[in-house]
Amino acid sequence: MLDGVKIVEFAEGAAGPLAATRLADLGAAVIKIETADGDWMREAVPAMAQDGMSASFFHLNRGKRSLALGHRPEEAAPLLRALLASADVFITDRAADELERLGIGAVSEEIYADNPRLVSVHISPLGRKGPMARQRGSELTTQAMAGYTRYLGTQEQPPLRLGADVASTGTGIFAAQAVMAALYRRNRDGRGQRVDLSLLNSLLSMKSIHLAAQSDPDVYSGPRVGGANNPPERGWKTADKPIFFAFGGSVGAEGRAGWVDFAQEAGLTRFLDDPRFDKTGRTTTGHGIRVHELREEYEKEFARFPAEALVSLIRKHAGNAAAYVSSDETMAHPQTAALGIVKEVAMRGGGKTRVRAFPARFSRMKPPLKDGTPHLGEHTEAIAAEAGITGPAFAKMIDSGGLLPRAGNA
Amino acid sequence: MPGKERGAGGPLAGIRVLDVSIMAAGPWTGALLGMLGAEVIKVEPPAGDGTRWVMPTQKGMGTNFISMNVNKKNMTLDLKRSDDRAAALALLGTCDVFVQNFRGGVIERLKLDYESVRAVSPRLIYCSISGFGETGPLSKAGCADPIMQAFSGFARANGAPGEGVEAFRFTGFIDLTTAAVATEAILAALLEREQTGAGQKVEISMLEAALEIQYTRIAELLGAGLVPVPRGSASPALAPDRAYAALDRYIFLTVHSDHEWSKFCAAIEQPTLAADPRFLTNQSRVENREALDAAIEPVLQSRPAIWWLRVLQRHGVAAGLAHDFETFRHHAQVIDNEMIARLDTLHWGEISVGGVPWHFSRTPCVVRPPATPGENSEEILAGLPTVAASGRAGRSDA
Repeated sequence: MLDGVKIVEFAEGAAGPLAATRLADLGAAVIKIETADGDWMREAVPAMAQDGMSASFFHLNRGKRSLALGHRPEEAAPLLRALLASADVFITDRAADELERLGIGAVSEEIYADNPRLVSVHISPLGRKGPMARQRGSELTTQAMAGYTRYLGTQEQPPLRLGADVASTGTGIFAAQAVMAALYRRNRDGRGQRVDLSLLNSLLSMKSIHLAAQSDPDVYSGPRVGGANNPPERGWKTADKPIFFAFGGSVGAEGRAGWVDFAQEAGLTRFLDDPRFDKTGRTTTGHGIRVHELREEYEKEFARFPAEALVSLIRKHAGNAAAYVSSDETMAHPQTAALGIVKEVAMRGGGKTRVRAFPARFSRMKPPLKDGTPHLGEHTEAIAAEAGITGPAFAKMIDSGGLLPRAGNA
Repeated sequence: MPGKERGAGGPLAGIRVLDVSIMAAGPWTGALLGMLGAEVIKVEPPAGDGTRWVMPTQKGMGTNFISMNVNKKNMTLDLKRSDDRAAALALLGTCDVFVQNFRGGVIERLKLDYESVRAVSPRLIYCSISGFGETGPLSKAGCADPIMQAFSGFARANGAPGEGVEAFRFTGFIDLTTAAVATEAILAALLEREQTGAGQKVEISMLEAALEIQYTRIAELLGAGLVPVPRGSASPALAPDRAYAALDRYIFLTVHSDHEWSKFCAAIEQPTLAADPRFLTNQSRVENREALDAAIEPVLQSRPAIWWLRVLQRHGVAAGLAHDFETFRHHAQVIDNEMIARLDTLHWGEISVGGVPWHFSRTPCVVRPPATPGENSEEILAGLPTVAASGRAGRSDA
């Protein structure tokens, strides 16, 4: 795994920290550099009941050690350069001019001269180059710019966002890939390199199916070209929760077969001879355009069933179905338990909390999840000492404002 | 030149991948590995990957198929035939990675399950992609993107405040998320093989991927008991962080920190807001969200979105407008950073697909059009002496 790999992370929010935490789960040691104000995610709501730390911050920064810069961070430049000189990986979302001021700019000629094996991953909101390279961006603004918000709600209503932070977490996943791919290459030729990612880029990469669909289609038909203008998709109402269902494979290619048996067992036999339900089933068994017209017909009958009963019946007849649930129900589901998706880890101040395991299972590797999330600057002194900055040199870096003194050490 | 042959420029040059998956989650895994420089061979059954016929098509080919199979060679094999299965096994002996997403039970019937394949190729990273995972009560249940949006809570976090649920009408997003997580896991296994010399099986489910892309919302749930609900364009974590109506249209903006809050107040020329004790910290702004919005909304509504965009940018506050395909496909920012790739295909015309998500300085990645179905069958089989000699040549027109 990644035992022995040293990562220096100078990033906040979700993207960079997620990449570094998953790499830490795989064995890497992570030093998190923060400015005097701390990663903004430390102030994100809600807080953990046990110790008041932001829940997202806790989950995004498990297993790291924190070094806090002071109010004149350029005074810590020698330390930052020393850290990068001995690191394998640098993950950052800081702007080029800020890195420049801190003496680690351009991840720069000097650093590569010191450490040609360094893999340096740069995350920006809107891309490294181009007219908007220096502009700020966020999860929300990049969702809007990438056209994601068009696929929720309607044109007439106020815009909606995806509840999941898809731009930042998606970029975190791609950044972890970038690190590992560059390390793989380094094993071949001994050299690191720079990799650039952006939130906007990640969203457009993940829009590939829709970009292709809208390029120059033979016929303007189907959800991938018209989806933005379709009505909101809220599933089929039942006696309780709405469901999604489909027969005939994941795109309806297998037609109507299981649906007929389902209709009989569920008492929907009047559908079997209704000419609006076509005989191939490809557009009326849960798929296609016609299904919107027939939704009410289904719902009249589905009102007799609780969602889970209907879902079981549909699965029994080889259809695909699920009830729309909230993620607390997902986490409580026996399937989630069977996969071991949730694990307990220790907290720094004592006690335990539940976190999500690494999102894949390996037959031989068993990534032990890292626990404990650092307070701001908790490890400043220890990290400086490892870089050879101790005693008077360390005191000077604190006094000059290069590093933040530990809270309570006044 | 970024070559057509093995070892195009990316960091995984020299890696060989056999991809027998269909639809999206598996195929985009192969595509990502191909973009990273691996040589990827897509194997289709004689009937073809069903996405070739999914609407819309472009010059007769499913655009879904084109976008999910970039950077791959293509060969036809009927894995139900013993000679073709033998060819697949021989091929796997030359490969580093195998990607498959057959429904539970099928791969065992084809005798291409991990135990069978490992006997032939112990160094292989065997990536198996499923809907709900390979153990547990739903391990045999079929899945698809909208099913997992429902099951994982992804859809439950979308919609206007007070609504129950709204699915993302952008089908395939969870599939592509699954492929991204699968690629992350495959890379971890490849690195581990560098140390041990041994391959292993890597299992990815759409369920775990759908939870990974909800990382922050699940963190709030597990850490603080906050259940995700629809919040319009707002987020539970920050305020202000939503779309506001300007004079002409909506502007999307986010204030991440107290420092940005003071910048924001300066940008909208409301110094009294900056000093208002109800809004001093993110936590207090979130708690007093309604009062905050009541103070901001009339100000933002008084001027056009472009004005706010300019002043917010000047003050270093994240702000943006909504775009659609027609407005961003030719946008300088998108083009300069190669976020969309325009491919010239042999048979299907020019088509845009997602660009590579990572830009490597020394081993740059490129997006290449997919091969035509069956295009490389002969060439690949010819490279396998044991198969070439076994009489399979009679079907070389496959």
